[in-house]
Amino acid sequence: MKSVLDGITVALPLLYFGTALVYGLSFFQDNVAAKKVKTPFLLVTLFVHFFYLIARTIEFNHPPITTVFEIMTVIAFSLATSYRIIEFRTQIKNTGFFILIVALLLQIISAFFIQDLIEVKAILRSNLLGFHVISAIAGISAFSISAVYGILYLMLYHNIKKNRFGIIYQNLPNLEKLEKMAMVAVSVGFVLLTIAILVGGVWLVRAVENYSPFDPKVIGTLVVWLLYGAGLIGQKSFGWKGRRIMVLSISGFAAAFLSLTLINMYLSGFHNFF
Amino acid sequence: MNLILVGINHRTAPLEVREKLWMSDDEIKACVKQYYNNVLSECFILSTCNRTELYGVIPSSESNGVDVNHTIEQIAQSLIEFKSAGNTIKRKHLYTFGTLPAAKHLLKVAAGIDSMVLGDVQILHQLREHFLLADETQTTGMILHRLVQTASRVGKRTRHETHITAGAVSVSYAAVELAIKIFADIESKSVMLIGAGETGELTAKLLVSRGIKNVFVTNRTRSKAEELTTALGGTVVEWDSFVSVIPTMDIVISSVTSPNYILTKEQLEQVRKQKQQKTLFVIDIGVPRNIEPAVNEIENVFLHDLDSLTHIVDQTMYKRKTEIPKVNEIIFEELKEFYEWMEALEVVPTIKDLRSHFENVRQEEVGRLVHRFSDKEKELVDTITKRIVNRLLHDPTIGLKEENKQNREEKSKTQQIVRRLFGLKPTTTISNDFIETEDN
Repeated sequence: MKSVLDGITVALPLLYFGTALVYGLSFFQDNVAAKKVKTPFLLVTLFVHFFYLIARTIEFNHPPITTVFEIMTVIAFSLATSYRIIEFRTQIKNTGFFILIVALLLQIISAFFIQDLIEVKAILRSNLLGFHVISAIAGISAFSISAVYGILYLMLYHNIKKNRFGIIYQNLPNLEKLEKMAMVAVSVGFVLLTIAILVGGVWLVRAVENYSPFDPKVIGTLVVWLLYGAGLIGQKSFGWKGRRIMVLSISGFAAAFLSLTLINMYLSGFHNFF
Repeated sequence: MNLILVGINHRTAPLEVREKLWMSDDEIKACVKQYYNNVLSECFILSTCNRTELYGVIPSSESNGVDVNHTIEQIAQSLIEFKSAGNTIKRKHLYTFGTLPAAKHLLKVAAGIDSMVLGDVQILHQLREHFLLADETQTTGMILHRLVQTASRVGKRTRHETHITAGAVSVSYAAVELAIKIFADIESKSVMLIGAGETGELTAKLLVSRGIKNVFVTNRTRSKAEELTTALGGTVVEWDSFVSVIPTMDIVISSVTSPNYILTKEQLEQVRKQKQQKTLFVIDIGVPRNIEPAVNEIENVFLHDLDSLTHIVDQTMYKRKTEIPKVNEIIFEELKEFYEWMEALEVVPTIKDLRSHFENVRQEEVGRLVHRFSDKEKELVDTITKRIVNRLLHDPTIGLKEENKQNREEKSKTQQIVRRLFGLKPTTTISNDFIETEDN
């Protein structure tokens, strides 16, 4: 089993590379063969990835959410799966490259640094924590997708404004659709992040004795939550639309990314378990 | 059997010349009947604003010893005479092709790469309609049916397998394409047409055909605006107050003749204060421009003028041109199949003549002795002799069909031998002169 897992750890980035490549060829080169094989290619990659996550859970006797590199591979899987659901639901198949390239990057980093951790800290062995982490990961994936659609929106927005009618203009869905997809992802992400914060709060009180409400990670997450919340209120109550709301969605993701990485690396707090 | 084509199109003749050969449905019917009764065994005419083309089949018996080129020349002349257009149309305006080039030409027409607007989608529909006219007149047969079927398949394949028909090829279509790139559910949007310019009206009509129901029209002369609302449906907006209505619109089309801007950035910002975030697509087709270009700097406002729309059209044409090699590949595949089918037909006349020769001999010999038999015996003799003839011809028939697998020369040689041996009239196969396709 161990050698199989090692093999898949190497194979997964290659599979994601292949998938992103066929999606890229389909988008940028209008390649007919790539158009035909891209979805089956993605499904194979997702199947192998799913098997990998299950196999790791069985082999090391814990779900792969205990180190930042395990979480990265779960986010990559979550991103690719969410994209496939969007592709299936909307039948818009032209945006896969931009999502899968993010999944590929995460998977490459994960493959380089992931370790075979068998002993897990006692504090991390909790169902409540598992629920917190899974909803946080799903939330981050949704925000990533909204940010990708936000960036695509801005690219198309500027292309149309500046009379550039090239590949971006020809192959992307229309502005309203991109905005809608980004906003659906924001709404889903916001709900999931809210759940993650609430569950995390309950777990924190139970598991950590001397916790500080001013922990950098908690503050960071609350800022992200407030940013997205403000954006959603702006959209619903003040009719914020178009470019402004898309810029806000990208800023929200940037804040979420900083909260995940920089705060984790440079500031200490109770949230540093790995 | 030879397939022939005599035609005139936008490449060989200007409009004032080729329009003289344009035919109405009734004229097409009369014309195909005329040729069908004389020199052609099958015939149909395609006549549109950009081309009039006669496709016909010269039967084997007609081809027999007759110069096919001479027949084609006669058809070309009589076609001009049919329309009494001898004063305008000269022989140089017409092109003529034989079997394979003729078939290839029709496939190019069906694919839309011989059209004035590259990738034209109308032509395939017109081709089917006009073939149906000939079919109703009963002047079509096996060969033209097969040819038009092949052409239809080429048309469908090029539309599905290439981008030859993709994109907008006029300013109005380009504007609609842009609107679709901005808005998702275009049917629910509101459009305002400012002025009564032809391109503006056409753009508005295209948007209405896409399902837009909320149409508003404004014009300096109210009666003209009313006329337009009758044509498009919708509501008239007073000229003096149209700027204040713009914030409620999604699309604004402007095509008025005015020395000054009718809408400035400042004006638009002023009226959009309440709805700053609403996406607005402004199409300025006026010359000189109607809308201040700085309007494009306002957030969520997209302004496009004649130049940027023309740019889209140019890009479409460029992209369509790059698709021509793919279309030619499809044409080559289908043409090959059609040609193989045509070739397989070549042995059919020999088989027919052979069977008919044997049947004549049988009938003659039976007829000569028929008075010696009773009625019952006559029936028996008839049956027996028929069976003998059939058995004798079975192997030669199979053998000739097998000849289809041979090359052209071998096939032709065998047929000539069979004809000589049994005293059948010689016949022509598809003339070699008619196989080379034109280079373009």
